[in-house]
Amino acid sequence: MRTSLLSPLDQTAACPRRRNAEPTMAQLVGPLRKELADSLSSCRVLVVGAGGIGCELLKNLVLTGFKNIEVIDLDTIDVSNLNRQFLFQKKHVGKSKAQVAKESVLRFCPSANITAYHDSIMNPDYNVEFFRNFQLVMNALDNRAARNHVNRMCLAADIPLIESGTAGYLGQVTVIKKGQTECYECQPKPTQKTFPGCTIRNTPSEPIHCIVWAKYLFNQLFGEEDADQEVSPDTADPEVAWNPADAAARATASNKDGDIKRVSTKEWARSTGYDPVKLFNKLFKDDIMYLLTMDKLWKKRKAPLPLDWTEIHQLESSQEEAFGTGLKDQQVLGVQGYAQLFHRSVETLRSQLIEKGEGAELVWDKDDPPAMDFVTAAANLRMNVFSMNMKSRFDVKSMAGNIIPAIATTNAVIAGLIVLEALKTLNSDFDQCRTVNLQCCSFHAQHNFDGFPNNNKFLSDFGIRNGSRLQADDFLQDYTLLVNLIHSEELEKDVEFEVVGDAPDKAPVSSVPEEGKNIANGNKDSAQPSTSSKAAAEDDDVLIVDSDEEPSSSTMETSLESSNRKRKHHDADTDDAASKRKRLDQQPADDDEDIIALD
Amino acid sequence: MTDNKTSKEQKYDRQLRLWGDHGQEALENAHVCLINATATGTEILKNLVLPGIGVFTLVDGHKVSGEDVGNNFFLTSSSIGKNRAQAATELLQELNSDVSGNFVEESPDKLLDNSPEFFHRFSLVIGVQLPESTYLRLGSVLWEAGVPFLICRTYGLIGYMRLIVKEHTVVESHPDNALEDLRLDQPFTELKHHVESHDLDNMEKKDHSHTPWIIVVAKYLEKWYSEHNSQLPKNYKEKEAFRQLIREGILTNENGTPEDEENFEEAIKNVNTALNPTKVPSATEDIFNAEQCENITSQSPSFWLIAHGVRDFVRNEGNGKLPVRGTIPDMIADSDKFIKLQNVYRDKAMKDAAVVSKHVEALLQSVGKPPESTSEQEIKLFCKNAAFLRVVRCRSLAEEYSVDTFNKDEITSCMYSTDSEMVLYLMLRSVDRFYQQHSRYPGVYNYQVEEDINKLKLCVNSLLQEYSLNVNVKDDYIHEFCRYGAAEPHMVAAFLGGSAAQEAIKIITHQFVPFNNTFLYNAMSQTSATFQL
Repeated sequence: MRTSLLSPLDQTAACPRRRNAEPTMAQLVGPLRKELADSLSSCRVLVVGAGGIGCELLKNLVLTGFKNIEVIDLDTIDVSNLNRQFLFQKKHVGKSKAQVAKESVLRFCPSANITAYHDSIMNPDYNVEFFRNFQLVMNALDNRAARNHVNRMCLAADIPLIESGTAGYLGQVTVIKKGQTECYECQPKPTQKTFPGCTIRNTPSEPIHCIVWAKYLFNQLFGEEDADQEVSPDTADPEVAWNPADAAARATASNKDGDIKRVSTKEWARSTGYDPVKLFNKLFKDDIMYLLTMDKLWKKRKAPLPLDWTEIHQLESSQEEAFGTGLKDQQVLGVQGYAQLFHRSVETLRSQLIEKGEGAELVWDKDDPPAMDFVTAAANLRMNVFSMNMKSRFDVKSMAGNIIPAIATTNAVIAGLIVLEALKTLNSDFDQCRTVNLQCCSFHAQHNFDGFPNNNKFLSDFGIRNGSRLQADDFLQDYTLLVNLIHSEELEKDVEFEVVGDAPDKAPVSSVPEEGKNIANGNKDSAQPSTSSKAAAEDDDVLIVDSDEEPSSSTMETSLESSNRKRKHHDADTDDAASKRKRLDQQPADDDEDIIALD
Repeated sequence: MTDNKTSKEQKYDRQLRLWGDHGQEALENAHVCLINATATGTEILKNLVLPGIGVFTLVDGHKVSGEDVGNNFFLTSSSIGKNRAQAATELLQELNSDVSGNFVEESPDKLLDNSPEFFHRFSLVIGVQLPESTYLRLGSVLWEAGVPFLICRTYGLIGYMRLIVKEHTVVESHPDNALEDLRLDQPFTELKHHVESHDLDNMEKKDHSHTPWIIVVAKYLEKWYSEHNSQLPKNYKEKEAFRQLIREGILTNENGTPEDEENFEEAIKNVNTALNPTKVPSATEDIFNAEQCENITSQSPSFWLIAHGVRDFVRNEGNGKLPVRGTIPDMIADSDKFIKLQNVYRDKAMKDAAVVSKHVEALLQSVGKPPESTSEQEIKLFCKNAAFLRVVRCRSLAEEYSVDTFNKDEITSCMYSTDSEMVLYLMLRSVDRFYQQHSRYPGVYNYQVEEDINKLKLCVNSLLQEYSLNVNVKDDYIHEFCRYGAAEPHMVAAFLGGSAAQEAIKIITHQFVPFNNTFLYNAMSQTSATFQL
């Protein structure tokens, strides 16, 4: 029971602790050690995130006596935040969370000194030096990319971090201190769900595949076009052995829009004036008929059934009975209902696009009704085409938005726990009496790269900078090496980099520097390094499902991958290789270019 | 109106996913009374106002002091000297325009003196930082009136909650790992016919691999029965043999290698749970046998009326089985086959619910209540959740405090380990005793801390003696509790505020199962425990 948080009985202070007429922190000095309570006013802390946990946390911090607080959040306030993020009101919708949170807290606690940043913590401006300004960092985030990032920055800066999260009734708080605890990435987390591109484009088998497709479709039609979010049939599907004789059949099947590949979905849609019926027939009839010509795909699968606008409107509306009760959102409509919803939402989005002016783009947002309607309709129509059970708008929203239920109570509990852990963490610094549980996988390398054999580029030219992580897979020895790059000005003359940290358990110590060399030189005998986006690291045509999460930007998440595996792959199956090559050509953003640059 | 509805749906989207629109409705119809707007009190209210509780009434006779402002987000310097209920209500109301807030500038003791029936009107009363004498009085008034009472207390680094509710019924307990209700061991007639309409042996490949796994299991179960004396596969060995039987049913290609039939894989995977014998769970059985279910009067709450109706169903038409739940899990199947199968279960569930309705109707008539006293909707929901019903009965404070009825066994057995959270309970009882004798809590004034330690020790001993408890309370705890000086640190208040509001929502929505009946939280060790006292 007795721990160092509590002071030994202090008999010298004989002043009454109660009944003050000024705002006081009297409630604190009793239970806490006096030095600790006093130190809070000079302590600088960083709160990353001003959402559900962040709001509660800011309140708890100022009322516990913390005075110097910096808070950062990229987000703006949405209506659906108001059921728990109590520092925000309806009039604040659309404004910066960090800024409004700061203002609201100051209204109640004017003596606090709060700095707000409306920005992403992954912005390179917030470097190791920035993190070193604080005695403690507290995460109140909702996505793993940012959590990983802050975790690394805190390890690099050697600043204790309190990590937290909630989901519905569940929540968690963990203290991360370099050299003393596990770090956020020590334990593998379940991987983010990704789906192969051809599953999304050609052979969806679960509702989520159709929902992802519908979100891509939204961007292709109304938003920012992204080559990785292609929605039309994928002729390079490795399952389909390319046979030129089939090409003719395909061309006929797709006579409506000529060559599917050449015209972008958006251009085509624009040329029809976003005609909802034409869009419908292309997406749910013509494209599906085209898919049907790839008959290899349907040998073992149930073939999709194209929908025709006119035909479905001639159907008896027997199936149109809505399933589910209660809220409109929770009902499942029939095909006709979704066709109508598709029609309506395309019209609404079209006029939104026109209103915004030439070249404007819409951004998909699960809380924007027409955008959500569009995805609900398109996803359900595709589910119908592929013989799946359709889903209510409510369920589609959950999946499309990666919605995690959230309530005030859990956030309140967790934010209370964070501050308690914060006090303990600060306290242990003063006493320096904690036992050490050494358990940390990441070791830290300091590099001062100045170039590769063939050009004089700097690492920063490839978006690799302070805080970046490089990953090297050694398939021969079956282990993965992670290198965290930290910029340093303090190296001795002519020393370009130094490797700090421990060797991983399994690997022989001597292999570590060698591995480093390989990375640096791109030695032809060994693995050929290629930087690639996270998505490409696993498989060429794996797509990352977009979510609430900020996409892990390539500047921060750069992996060096051996191409051994790819080569093997190619040798084994030439057809496959050919199709892969094709895909790479279509996606200039993919890894080919980067390989050249690095060599 | 529709506009208002949509904007609410948007605002409450993230929580509707937890308790549904009927849970939200219950919340919006609730009137909660909270006594004392201390940090813990306003934190609880904040967490109830944000999700949109209907009405709250804040009762507090205190004036705002400086230290209130120091640990309470909903009191500002400018409110010092004002009544605390009024000052806090103003700011709490700002959180949500859907909520209406009242305040009463009166101490609960005064209200109890003058008009104890004041408290009868609430859906729930939450008492925060109350002296023992007050919560004992209030507890007995609310117990008699059948109003749920939640006591909350932040005492230094300790959090305490006590729930007092005579009887709390839960239809939607939201179990974590509920088994499906598929009736494969005892298929109802419609299901039998539906299964018979499939002929796996003469099917096109596409249909074969898109037949729902439930049908696949049912089909192979018939085969199994014919070879095994109509006995279900019971143990691991038999189930394994049954799985093999299904596996052999997977189609093969020209070369004799099995095709990829995901529905069969699903069937094999689900054998274990799908063959669970259908029976009435013991918790539901207990409810059927409860006195309240037996003796229905015109005063009986609808929970017991419907429970009686379901019991009649089980004992008659149901042949010992609950009404069919009517839902099936997602599975590999084409839409058409899935929907047909789903409809078989759904139709049967509707039929069963209709039979239950008839029983309930007859029951209502027999006690002279109009048939519309229970809704169709309510009966359907009840039938769907019949396997998960829960009734929580808490002991009264009087039972907990009487030397004849207090839970000696629980206390003594927990205290075998000296650092059990039970010691915190004994310490809280002791500081209450201290308050009774000295009209203040120990350690409130720094200069008295040392002498208070001895006084508190006397209180601990007299408590143990009065209840003939032969347990040891370490001196450390007595020192700690003196140092706490009955302070209310904000972070502990925040934790308790979240926990208490969550329990309040459970009570109001009758969803999820509330704790029974004492909760203790130790912020130092980050541990908590629940006891039945």
